[in-house]
Amino acid sequence: MKEKKKDDGEMAEELEKNSYRFWIWSIASMIFRFCIILFPENINLSSRPELSTPLTSLCRLAEGYWLKQASMSPYSGSMYHGSPLLLSLLGPLTVHGIEGQWNHHLCSLVFVVSDILSAVLLRATGQQLEKAYRLNLRRLGLLKASRDRGILPCGDIAALVYLWNPFTILSCVGLSTSPIENLAVIVSLYGAVTRKQLFERRVPLAAFGLIMATHLSLYPATLVIPLIFLLGYGLDAPPRKLFLQTRDREGEPGQDKLTRTTQLPFLWKTVLHFVFWVLVWSIYVLVLCSLSLKQYGGLEEMFKRTYGFILNIEDLSPNIGVFWYFFAEAFDFSRNYFLIVFQIYMFLSILLPLARRLKHRPCFIAFVYLAFSSILKSYPSVGDAALYLSLWALFVNELTDMKHSFFIFCGYIGFSLLSPVMHNLWIWRGTGNANFYYANAMGYACFQFMFVEESVSAMLNHDQALKKATAEMTKN
Amino acid sequence: MAADNRYEEEEVRTDDGSPITKPRPIVRLGIFLVAHSPVFSVVFSAAGVLALLLLPLLAKNTYISENALMPGSARSMLSNRDASDGSKLVKDIKNFRLNHEGQGVEVQRLIGKYMSEMVAEVYYQKFQPEGNQFHPLHFFSGPASYTLLRNVSCASYGVNVVGIIRAPRGDGKESIVLVTPYDFINGGDYEDLSLGVVSSLFSLLSRVTWLSKDIIWLVADSRYGDYRPVAAWLAEYHTPSFKVSDQLKCDELNTADNFRRAGTVAAALVLKVDGRSERFEDILSIYADASNGQMPNLDLINVVNYLAVHRQGFHVKVEKVVSLLSSSWLKIVGEIFEAVGKVAHTLNPDWKFGIPAAEYIEGSATLASSLYSQAFGIPTGPHGAFRDYQVDAITLKISPGFPPDSKARQHDFFLRGSQLLEGTIRSVNNLLEKFHQSFFLYLLTSPSKFISVGVYMIAFALLVASLPMVAASLYVDGCKALTKSTHNSAENFKSWKWLDAAKQVFALHLLGFIVTLLPYFICQVPGQHSPRNRSIMWGTTSSLLLVTFVTIPGCSPFSSRLHGTNWAILKSVTISAAFIGLCLMSIINFATAEIGALLLVPTCLLAQPIKPALRSRRVKSLLGAFCSMVLVTIGFPVIFFAITKGLVGEGLVGLSLGGEFWTWLESLWAWKSATYLYIGMVHLPCWLLCVCILFHPS
Repeated sequence: MKEKKKDDGEMAEELEKNSYRFWIWSIASMIFRFCIILFPENINLSSRPELSTPLTSLCRLAEGYWLKQASMSPYSGSMYHGSPLLLSLLGPLTVHGIEGQWNHHLCSLVFVVSDILSAVLLRATGQQLEKAYRLNLRRLGLLKASRDRGILPCGDIAALVYLWNPFTILSCVGLSTSPIENLAVIVSLYGAVTRKQLFERRVPLAAFGLIMATHLSLYPATLVIPLIFLLGYGLDAPPRKLFLQTRDREGEPGQDKLTRTTQLPFLWKTVLHFVFWVLVWSIYVLVLCSLSLKQYGGLEEMFKRTYGFILNIEDLSPNIGVFWYFFAEAFDFSRNYFLIVFQIYMFLSILLPLARRLKHRPCFIAFVYLAFSSILKSYPSVGDAALYLSLWALFVNELTDMKHSFFIFCGYIGFSLLSPVMHNLWIWRGTGNANFYYANAMGYACFQFMFVEESVSAMLNHDQALKKATAEMTKN
Repeated sequence: MAADNRYEEEEVRTDDGSPITKPRPIVRLGIFLVAHSPVFSVVFSAAGVLALLLLPLLAKNTYISENALMPGSARSMLSNRDASDGSKLVKDIKNFRLNHEGQGVEVQRLIGKYMSEMVAEVYYQKFQPEGNQFHPLHFFSGPASYTLLRNVSCASYGVNVVGIIRAPRGDGKESIVLVTPYDFINGGDYEDLSLGVVSSLFSLLSRVTWLSKDIIWLVADSRYGDYRPVAAWLAEYHTPSFKVSDQLKCDELNTADNFRRAGTVAAALVLKVDGRSERFEDILSIYADASNGQMPNLDLINVVNYLAVHRQGFHVKVEKVVSLLSSSWLKIVGEIFEAVGKVAHTLNPDWKFGIPAAEYIEGSATLASSLYSQAFGIPTGPHGAFRDYQVDAITLKISPGFPPDSKARQHDFFLRGSQLLEGTIRSVNNLLEKFHQSFFLYLLTSPSKFISVGVYMIAFALLVASLPMVAASLYVDGCKALTKSTHNSAENFKSWKWLDAAKQVFALHLLGFIVTLLPYFICQVPGQHSPRNRSIMWGTTSSLLLVTFVTIPGCSPFSSRLHGTNWAILKSVTISAAFIGLCLMSIINFATAEIGALLLVPTCLLAQPIKPALRSRRVKSLLGAFCSMVLVTIGFPVIFFAITKGLVGEGLVGLSLGGEFWTWLESLWAWKSATYLYIGMVHLPCWLLCVCILFHPS
């Protein structure tokens, strides 16, 4: 008993030290961002196709705001394709400054703040997941109280990965709105994972995050599946069968309480609560949008110009995705067919099977969905990669045995550096052509696929290993 | 790389003892390669060097790829009258010079008057000579994004004279540019000749009916170098500035508001006449390298070469490294290849790859020069400015074989020179699209022979192929060693052992990045400093930074004693970083990557801790340690610079070296050469890491 207390004391001390370190690093990352923003040399990051897509470019947003100020529809022309709410939120910050250039420092400040906020929420989410991980291992009897030092503080790691990821930093200082989209996704996960009191989740917050993220970039709509699992079944845990085995082994009356909690049924009430709030928020957002677009064609125009633009892949300017080149080359008569095939591919072959196989790990499903949507999105940017990479870091404890990690890491670095080089070769030097840049995009997509595939298989292997370990314990 | 690491992981899996199915043949091949990486790395590197030596043999004859060009198919329309027009201009300028000493503006007016007499639109453009600016990162952006508006002084500015002939058959959307650099204050007799040639041509072009692209004649004020005036004119041509420039105020010539344009530039020819050739015949040298190893389309060179050789009888040559011509080892290599070629020919008469030794040496010297100027990344003439706007351009430098006062031969020279230009312009005039048919990436071994990218990449690929193999095998070894030494970490993070090493590699690359940017701040230090002092400043700050980095725990490679990092993993990560860097550089500038790989690959492969080697006292390991020491010494950029200087023939070792090195680097970043970035961000960090591995406390 005494030993345990001492251990707890040490742990608390360590925890304090860790949080102290975390704050130092996050403040450093903030300062670093400000340094780049204030750096006099105009590297012109905002015009890079890797950072700003037609959906996330702040320059386009400024244009849309200007149109709206001039009493025209912000969607007239084909400049702006984002949300009208974002326009009212960020638009005033993009108005003309003193030197005739719009004041991008204020916008950058908003992005830095949203990055920090995302990191803090990620940290809280991670702490919850870590707690759950510890608890589950203890329940399975695989972890003695004195030996849980090996468990990494995944919340801190995920938050720092988010803050110091070059992709995040670039999309933050490169004036794209992806930090805000990422924040919305992280808010929804945070709302679903953390609890206000013992059993009460922050359901309205989760619903709000989901609706906002969907409203801003459509693809996070897939998160509805992991969120329902999260609210219905609870946090990520090893497969339920294992707990049943453990319970069989320890048929003692003292363990009754524990076993009852492991046998959590699907919480229909919470899920219905969630659905209710989703409806409330979506109606709310739609009403706001229709109010803001009253004179300019209303909701119909918005749906056509934002979601229609995303699903139809109308803009074929180069980006790091795999669709622009394909649809630039595809014949017109087959275009609709390919559109339907590609968009449905994601739903049929990725969403449902994964949801079935990994339903005991809803947060991990969220990571996989986000990673896939970042690969198969119509207008991806590195900001999306930043999001799923930091979500991946939430599972460092489970994924310690991931294979080919060094190889994938090298691939990511190589292809991200190659992208500006290929772009330069094509656009400025004229010695390369579109194939060069597209080849790079395909290579990048390949590595992303490999990354997701390895993560999923590492997670399945982890479950397998747990199963083996429990089986051995049962034998003993 | 991709495949290899996969296989290496495959091996790890087998070590676990878990049952696996029999791997596919390609996987087994990969495992085989990785398992025998020392042998294969030696074989591949040797093959890479051999392939580089073989390149002159593999050169192909050039051919006109674009059918529309049809060089030499039309009869020249240039008459004696046009040539005498040129002679008249030259005579007038000479007389004017004699009467008015040092009045450059008047000469410009004179040329302008001549142009307008030929019904050309004439205007004058003022530009500011630019000082050395530190902008290495601008390599990634387009030419337009760095137009700097600075204080303008009236004391020194240059004036370009530009004349435009509108094409009778064109729609004014395309143009061809002729450039003659000319020093208006103290231009020599030979410079006058270039004006004469182009004005003869101009007088013809003002009359012809077949012209469908406008012709622009730019007389560039070469008082501030050849490149700067052309670059200034191009910048103004492509990115008009709407601000009223201060230059207009300090003015003798009225240049305000009359800048004329003539559509997209299809091609540009720069004509220079200088110095008398040693031979009796006129020599035409072609310069084509623009910044960062970019070349104009090969078709342009082909057209000029074809017309010059087959129509006008010029002796055409491209630059070569003269010191190589007399080198004995190259001669031996050439003779060996010749002998091998002969033997092969006797075996099978269809095999014709042998070339005479003399031709081989000639080709190698030209190839070396081609590689050198591309690797340097600095344009070899004013044509380089055009490449920034995706315009194909070359410089034609003619050395006439007669003294400047020989009137009869001068007339003939004008006739031939302008007929050459006329033929080229006629070919380009036929083009319906941009130059795109022929190669952009090639190396020249003679004016009529080239090596295309598909061939020269093989040498590089062979050279770097050993890197991923060795990295994979070292990674496997390192992982095994770590698993043995520390049982605890073996359980956790089986596949994340490289993180510590990656941290160290990243730290040193960060250091390299900072060192690369340091000159920017050193240039801001107030006061006049000699290049030597500046280089000393740079050296001291960099070493101070290095010391700081090394003392920071966690990211210094020397602190690995505490972490128990294996040097093998550190080396594996280093090699991977070098591989990525070299591959990236090979896409940006092949020549730099090739020379860099020749230096970096053996250094990286041979780097091993020397402590155990010294302890073991075995001849083999001592020899290895000695070799790696030598390679590391040569690999240091300053020492390599000194050695290259020594090889070229300017022997200098001593205190002036720092200053020279600084000046050299200054020229690199002034020309936005990516080579500077490569040296600072790939070569230097990898070199430092190799040093760290050498002195690793293992």
